[in-house]
Amino acid sequence: MNPNDLDAIRDARRAPGPVLRKAPGPVAWFDVRRRRAGSVAFSISRLAGLGLVFYLYLHLAVLSLLLRGPGAWGSFLRVATTPALLGMDVLLLFGLLVHGLNGLRVALIGTGVAPDRQKALLWTVMTVAAILLLYGALHILGSR
Amino acid sequence: MTVAHSRPPVTPGGSRAWRATALSGVAVLALVTVHMVAHHFVVQSVGGLRSYRQVLEYIGNPVIFVIESLFLVVVTWHAMLGLRSVLFDLGLSETSRRRASRALAGLGVATVAYGFALIGILASRS
Repeated sequence: MNPNDLDAIRDARRAPGPVLRKAPGPVAWFDVRRRRAGSVAFSISRLAGLGLVFYLYLHLAVLSLLLRGPGAWGSFLRVATTPALLGMDVLLLFGLLVHGLNGLRVALIGTGVAPDRQKALLWTVMTVAAILLLYGALHILGSR
Repeated sequence: MTVAHSRPPVTPGGSRAWRATALSGVAVLALVTVHMVAHHFVVQSVGGLRSYRQVLEYIGNPVIFVIESLFLVVVTWHAMLGLRSVLFDLGLSETSRRRASRALAGLGVATVAYGFALIGILASRS
């Protein structure tokens, strides 16, 4: 990067007053139009995170069926092992991998471990996620 | 379109919250891997789902009990920090931010308390 560009960035960071941003607003992170790969990854990761919070409470509700005994749990298993629900398990695994591995990438960058390897890290974690998702999907769907 | 708008107020402890999110995230990643492999991927059944008796035997193991309890605490902590971050991005006032933080802390404590009760009851049945 040109040293003049770096100076311009530092000056912009130090400057008081208004900040120039694309599409400002409370849900600007949701708008991925004309964004770079890192910003798109952030939006997808955040959406996956919200889905995982929903799943946390759904999981606790489902596990509560165990309190009602083997009959209630058996009824749940009959529904949970249908192809549609196993497909939802694959979707869950997708959310876990995207959110978890992208979060690891952000942590490595944010803590200064790999601050200048953003794009390489993004493609590495997404490749690992794709491989693990394929393995997981085959394991889950192939178990029928 | 590029539009000028006010710089958001700097939140005291914002950096601390980010570090806590990152730290809990790394812990969740390790614990969710253990949970997925130990609980689902080693079981030879459809979808890796255990029967009622198998679940009780699993959670009755003291090592698993500790790991799952730790997982519950860390995943709830991480989830509440993530929700807080999403809520703060809505541009809440300082008062609303404090209320949101308190509400999420309460929700987190209630979630962990319910989860502990659930795990404890199931472990006692094994």
